[in-house]
Order: sequence, then C-alpha cells, then structure tokens
Amino acid sequence: MSKEPTLIEAHNLTVVYGRKPALWNVDFEIPGKQVIGIMGPNGSGKSTLLKSIMGVVEPTSGFTKVYDQDIDDVRDRISYVPQRQDIDWDFPASVWDVVSMGRFAQRGLFKRLNKEDQDIIAQSLDKVGMLSFSKRQISQLSGGQQQRVFLARALAQQGELFLMDEPFAGVDISTEEMIIDLLKEMKEEGKTLVIVHHDLHTAQSYFDWLVLLNTRLVASGPVSEVFNDKTLSDTYGGKLTTMSKITQVLENKEFPIRHK
Amino acid sequence: MNDFYVILTASLVAINCALMGSFLVMRKMVMIGDAISHAVLPGIFIAYMVSGVTTNLVVLAGAALSGILATVLIEWFTKKVRLQNDASIGISYTLLFALGVILISRYGQKVDLDQECVLYGDIELTVLNIREIFSGFYLPSQSVVLMAVLAILLLAVILGYKGLLLTTFDPAFAASAGVSIGVWHYVLMSGVSLTTVVSFDSVGAILVISFLAGPPAIAYLLTERLKTLLFLASGIGVICSILGYYLAKAWDASVAGSISIVIGVSFVLVFFAVQLAKRKQSVISLE
Ligand SMILES: Nc1ncnc2c1ncn2[C@@H]1O[C@H](COP(=O)(O)OP(=O)(O)OP(=O)(O)O)[C@@H](O)[C@H]1O
Ligand SMILES: [Mg+2]
Repeated sequence: MSKEPTLIEAHNLTVVYGRKPALWNVDFEIPGKQVIGIMGPNGSGKSTLLKSIMGVVEPTSGFTKVYDQDIDDVRDRISYVPQRQDIDWDFPASVWDVVSMGRFAQRGLFKRLNKEDQDIIAQSLDKVGMLSFSKRQISQLSGGQQQRVFLARALAQQGELFLMDEPFAGVDISTEEMIIDLLKEMKEEGKTLVIVHHDLHTAQSYFDWLVLLNTRLVASGPVSEVFNDKTLSDTYGGKLTTMSKITQVLENKEFPIRHK
Repeated sequence: MNDFYVILTASLVAINCALMGSFLVMRKMVMIGDAISHAVLPGIFIAYMVSGVTTNLVVLAGAALSGILATVLIEWFTKKVRLQNDASIGISYTLLFALGVILISRYGQKVDLDQECVLYGDIELTVLNIREIFSGFYLPSQSVVLMAVLAILLLAVILGYKGLLLTTFDPAFAASAGVSIGVWHYVLMSGVSLTTVVSFDSVGAILVISFLAGPPAIAYLLTERLKTLLFLASGIGVICSILGYYLAKAWDASVAGSISIVIGVSFVLVFFAVQLAKRKQSVISLE
C-alpha cells in the first residue's frame, strides 16, 4: 500500500529533559496518507515525539522533517491535538472560544475572524457532534466531550496532517466509535493521521502503520510486519501485567476484536 | 477634591493591575508581580543617582528595566539552571531587592528614598503633586502617568488579545501553530513591569499585589469568559478602591492597607456567596 512518499522523518532524534533522556537516537521515515499509531508504555516519549515533530520541544540532537521541509515552513498544513490533561479545563472559555483558536494562526493573530472562519468553526463542531454545546463553559464538559472539542479545534485548522496525543484516553465506546468514523472519513479524504494510543486490542484494526517506542525506537513499519511477539515484549518488556496482556492479545490475534 | 484625586489614582492603579493580573492569575504566576515590584529597587536607585530626581521618566525606565531583568533572570534560572519556577522567582527577586537595599544603605544618605515607601507607598500624598492639565483642569501628576500606562496596556491587550489568550490557555498548541510563547511572555512581562513600577510608586508593593491577584481572582469566581473577566476585574478593583478609601477615612487608617483588606474580605464573601448560590441551584435542579 505504501507507495506514498515519506511524509514524516526523524533522524538521530534525542531529547533530554534535565539529565534524563525522553527520546534516544530515534530514527524513522513514515509515508503519508494513512493512519499511523504511536505506542509505548507511560513515559516512553510518545508526547515528546509529537512535540519534537511540531517544534514545541527543541531536540537535544538530531532533527525531524515533515513534507521534507523544516516544520516552520509547513505549520499551516499540520494540526496538533495535545494530551487532554495538559490543559486547565477550568479556564474561563466556552466551547466556541476553544474551537475558534484553531483559526487564530490560520487567519493571522491580528485579524478579526470573518464569516468564513465562523462557518468553519461551526462545521468543525458539527462534525464532532458538539455544535449544540458551543456556548457551554469548558469546565462543564465530560472527558469525552473535551476530547471532541479538541478534535474540533484541530479540524478548524484545516490541515492535511493531524498529530493527536491520546484522543481515545478517557472516552466511552460511543465517542471512540464516533472518532474512529471521523478518522476513517479523513483518511479517505487523503489526510494523514498520527495517533498516540494505549489499547493493544484495537491497534491492529485502527492503524496501517505502527511506531513502537520505549525511549528508543523499537520498531516502525506497516502494522502487519511490526505487531508481533518480539517487538511488543521489547516495547513493554519486563512489566508482568502488561506481558500477560500481550500474550492474551497475541492469542486473540486471529480473531481481532471489534474489527469493523 | 482631594478625595477624588486619591480615588482616581487608586482606581487607575486598580484597572492597570486588573488587566495584567487577570492574565497572571490564569497563568498561575501572580507572584511574579510581587517579584518584579521588589526587584525594581536597584533600577530605581541607579536611575535616581544618575538623574537626581524621583519622579521622571529616567527613573521609570530604570525601574522597568530592572523589572524586565528580573523576568529574564527568572527565565534563565528556570530554563538553563533547571530550577523550579517558584525557587527561581524567590532567588531572582531577593537578589535584586537585596542589591537595592545595599545600594540605598551605602549611598542612600544623599538621596530621599527609602524601602518603607517602596513597600507601603504614599497614596495620600498624591494630592501634594497636582498639575494643571489644561486651563482650570487639575489632576495629580501620578494619575497622568497612570493614564498613559493604561492607554499602553489597553492597546496591548486589545491588539494582543488572541496571542495572550492562546499562549495562556494552551502554550503547546500555540507553539505548534507557530505562535511564539516567548514573545508573548515578554509582552506580558513588560506590561507587568510597567504596571508594577508606576503603581507601587503611588500605592506601594503590597497593594500592587492585592490589586494584581485579588480582583481577577474575585472576577474568576463570577464569570466564565476571559473578556468579561477583564472588565469585571477592573470594575471590582475600582469599587474596592472607593470602599477602601472611605474605610480608611472613617478609621483614620492607611488607605493602601484598607483597600487591601477590602479586597481580601470581598474575595471571601464572594466565594461563600457563589458556593451558596451553587448549592441553591443544585437543590432546585434536584426538585
Ligand atoms: N517538561 C518536562 N520536563 C521534564 N521531564 C519531562 C517533561 N516532559 C516529559 N518529561 C519526562 O520525559 C519522559 C517522557 O515523557 P512523555 O510525556 O513524552 O511520555 P509519554 O510516552 O507521552 O507518557 P504518557 O503515556 O504518560 O503520556 C517522562 O519520563 C517524563 O517524565
Ligand atoms: Mg503522553
């Protein structure tokens, strides 16, 4: 499937916070127009990887490129969805306010948002089923609704590449299915989706490409080649509970759960 | 007329502080205002030694510069030395404040400038320095300076609203969209420096902190929109200034102290009133 050219690449990427490395010598090239999963245990550097790609975090050494260019030249084509916990949801803002932030940089910080922007914001809210909540204060949202709002903000940016940090964390089945349907639709429109994910059960059905991370890069490749006994224990290795989970997943491998 | 002059001055300080304080409260960094208001001491003193007068632009510039120096120091301790942010604040401002105290105690005999005045201010004295603005219309010269600062802050907040909002609410997202966190941090910090510097001259460092933290915190209890919060915090600051002023008159007490107390008490009252209203509401919705 992947005759697509390389879209995201990292070379010798190392990020060190203080004295502790969060990413160590990570090197990969990933083709676009597909759904890419990034998986690894807590603290394995998944968020740091997304932040490095977006230039939010400065690499200690190495570099990343998107569309074979420096990130600063292609920002307007990329949408980033931070981890939901990174934000203070008690901030005095409405759902509409948050989603309109997706238009700020696109329109220019010093220009008023116009009718076109308003339409885009409304459409984005509608796509995630939150239009009727647009006046709602963000502190009065459930976890799943917060996640939808974040997604709507990313949609409002109208990018081609979406980097999403744990969009399925703390959402119920119906929201997860809604998001998955939306992602499928986006993929059909030729968008590229990068998703940080935790659930091994759904990995094979959700992703075309998988990046397994544990500070170092364990594996990067098409899901069918990369999702196996060895790579998973290399990624999660040593942790008993996770190990038994993996065994269970591998046993069920021939009967993928929730394969739509 | 004297009442009006003092209240006007206090209200202008209140509004300036509300505009900056609202963003500081939302960024959870109000104490940086405290740090700046202490850290300006050496700047004021050096500018004063160079120019020889207390209220002029050289002194203000000196103060604003050491305020910004303090924020740069704090950034440096946090980012490069990797100190916790509150520890960086503590070290930077005590360092600069101590430097100011030493400078004043060593060379200060020749100048009329003392630490007391820096901490508590002399808002009652604003009436001694009245200037004719145009024929027959007089204002305290301090309030003229405060108005100029207000104009600058309004311009910055109106023009920079989106940048300040974005970098305050979600810095990582802002950076990902190419909005510089650093630039907006320094825009805000310059505003805070300017505000603190011109304010503490009139009302003292302690009331500046009350004004930076109190009215925005009260407004935060009452509204769910950042824009409303800015207006509300300004209004609350003005009301507290008026109440505080008359309280001070009635008690024959310090104006700055009374306003601080009114702000503190208002916060507690509003907090409980809001709790009560919420409880009533949830009872109603249960019925
Ligand atoms: N701003 C920071 N300062 C210092 N250390 C950090 C910072 N951000 C992350 N770290 C550390 O870097 C490592 C990787 O963090 P990161 O957030 O990238 O992990 P993650 O894979 O996203 O984890 P999770 O699954 O919990 O979200 C962790 O050990 C974390 O403690
Ligand atoms: Mg993470």
